[in-house]
Amino acid sequence: MRENVLLSNRITLWRVALLFLATLFVQPPGSLAAQDISDLAPAEIIRLGEQMYLKGLLPSGKPMQAYVSGDIPMEGTSFTCVSCHLHSGIGSFEANIATPPTNGRILYQERKPYIKGFENVPSYHRYASYFPVRPAYTDETLAALITTGFDPTGRSVLKVMPRYDLDDRDTAIMIAYLKSLSDQFSPGVSENEIKFATVIVEGVDPAAVAAMLLPLENQINRKNSQALTYQSSPRLARMANNVMGPDLGAKKFSLARWVLKGAPETWRAQLDAYYRAEPVFALLGGISDGEWEPVHRFCEENRIPDLLPQTDYPVLSNSDWYTLYFSRGVRQEGEAAARYLHSMYDLFAGRAVVQVVRDGRVGKALGEGFREVWATTGHPAPVEIVLPEGEALSGERLRQIVAEHKPAALLLWDDATVLAALEGLPDQAGRPGMVIASSSYLGKEMWNISESLRDLLYLTYPFRLPQEEGRFDVALKGVLAGKNPSDYDQKILRRSYIVGELLSKSLVQMRGEYYRDYLLDVVGMMADSVFPLYERLGFGPGQRYASKGCFIVQLGKGANPQLERRSEWVTQ
Amino acid sequence: MTKGITLVILCMAAITGFSPNRSAVAAEAPYKRTVESLSMPDVVLVNQKGEKVRFKTLVESGKPVVVDFIYATCTTICPILSAGFTNLQRKQGVDSAKFQLISITIDPENDSPPVLTEYLERYQARPGWDFLTGSRADINKVMNSFGAFFPNKMSHRPYNFIRTNDQGKWVKLDGMIGGRDLLNEIEKVGVK
Repeated sequence: MRENVLLSNRITLWRVALLFLATLFVQPPGSLAAQDISDLAPAEIIRLGEQMYLKGLLPSGKPMQAYVSGDIPMEGTSFTCVSCHLHSGIGSFEANIATPPTNGRILYQERKPYIKGFENVPSYHRYASYFPVRPAYTDETLAALITTGFDPTGRSVLKVMPRYDLDDRDTAIMIAYLKSLSDQFSPGVSENEIKFATVIVEGVDPAAVAAMLLPLENQINRKNSQALTYQSSPRLARMANNVMGPDLGAKKFSLARWVLKGAPETWRAQLDAYYRAEPVFALLGGISDGEWEPVHRFCEENRIPDLLPQTDYPVLSNSDWYTLYFSRGVRQEGEAAARYLHSMYDLFAGRAVVQVVRDGRVGKALGEGFREVWATTGHPAPVEIVLPEGEALSGERLRQIVAEHKPAALLLWDDATVLAALEGLPDQAGRPGMVIASSSYLGKEMWNISESLRDLLYLTYPFRLPQEEGRFDVALKGVLAGKNPSDYDQKILRRSYIVGELLSKSLVQMRGEYYRDYLLDVVGMMADSVFPLYERLGFGPGQRYASKGCFIVQLGKGANPQLERRSEWVTQ
Repeated sequence: MTKGITLVILCMAAITGFSPNRSAVAAEAPYKRTVESLSMPDVVLVNQKGEKVRFKTLVESGKPVVVDFIYATCTTICPILSAGFTNLQRKQGVDSAKFQLISITIDPENDSPPVLTEYLERYQARPGWDFLTGSRADINKVMNSFGAFFPNKMSHRPYNFIRTNDQGKWVKLDGMIGGRDLLNEIEKVGVK
């Protein structure tokens, strides 16, 4: 159900002719809509309709048959409705191309060349004027559009939208699903308020929690102050209407703290209880030192967005939808190391790559990330050595490893205790050309790497270089007004600042369509943005990990060294 | 005018065969055609198999070449461009290997070789259609060389570039071009 906005200026007589043909030669539309599906429970109709919309699978389980550009047969699994109209059905934008809404509430209204409530807002007025006017769809004309590619005006949409070979019953199921799509505002939103919550796992350093909360609460307070101001002045209220949409300026925002206690197995019951007591529109941020999966599953099953929780262990999934993460976590550094070594593998002359992995959650995540990407690039598996927890790597053990395997490259996924073992390595015969460690795992000790190791030791660094980050201090100034910046972990603070900014921009772009899926659709459509901390941050439709890059760096010379870039942000 | 409408109806009837399950004629959207002199950068990109590809060598191999700029999770322009490539390969049948289709990602951060492979499978690509990624800097060089620099993936345009037999000359098609038009344009530059 996709219409090319460039097709708006058709000659009326041709339209009439095409409409005539569409109604004359296609299957009589009345029979499509009259199909009785009352034998199916309402929930089953929605499930089957969603299966067609999201996966391109018929109720029978077989792929829908689509015809692209009118006559190219393709399986509907390749051209699903969600691919263009997105999860919410509100449609998509990209440059000057827009895909119109396909939810029943909008389809069954006449399309006029303006959006009610936005008549004076140039950007949104343009949105409406992109699409040609049309009468309200009926079940019959919607069935005809889906199966023949002609809209009620006789306009063909076949160049940009497939037509689907659906029988009457399946068409009726699809139409029933479209009517349910983005039909009622999501929970947590009322006429005057939007409710959010943030999840805090008990045991996280209180200073880290404070750094996570400060920018979020600042954003919420700022928004509520704006609402008060706008309510006090009709002129400002009109301005808010134009800039922020019909009611966003007046809405009160709230942010609840959902604190999770005890073992992760018990979190689900706690989350359910919080949600029952006070449904929220979305979760913002959140913080955990370890597990996050129970929160992820809770969001997935209740269809609640969670914008950018702070965790080193995000759930990795190609299909889950409701949680957006900053990155693939600490594992992403292992993946970056694999891509970096792949780019120079020709120089290794057959020598081994050795991976030393600390037996713990961080080490394993780094090791898995490296192993997986290394395998997909077609290289033989690295030699792997596991260090038992609590047993520091000695210099002698390291010398033995190097002497035995004579690696071209050595990966050390361990904490800063490993630095002492490395001291003699630069002088050892047959030493590797490079040693790679994780800056996240080394922590602040990375700044104390001895001069003698700095030529040999490379670090994965998944952030913008510190010396290039200062320009963002200005952005954080408002958040830190009256505070001592050194009281707050800068990485946590900056990540949380990004959450607030992302929320603010998204809500404005939602134009009053308060659907959870639409929030996620809008985030997916946002341009890559220049934010603190990350060299490049952005999603893209359906993407779930915002930062995909990681620098490989070395520590420079001198008493106050800087990080020196040895790779690009992304290496393939 | 009435004559024109009758002609349209007759043509439509003949093409559709009076059946909703037969092909219907897509309305033709306008597109802009220009001829550009382009110089290809000597950069190494990575294809869907993870193999390094010298871009200049690939586009100047002597085969006719069609290039577009897309990304794997795009929901607007790219599905249409890629359906055009699918159509092209289908219409050419066994001759599809006679020319080289190249899609270049404008989202190299996300589009790793496995992502590119999955995308090509989704569009039932045949040999002769490669999807290339690389470092941001190299992708930028390629975009700039085509005069198609998109600083952001959400602001890109539907371009197809066809290499002509005239050294360094490319036909640039700007717009949501239909499969038939693309085929015609390729034939115009000498591919049969």
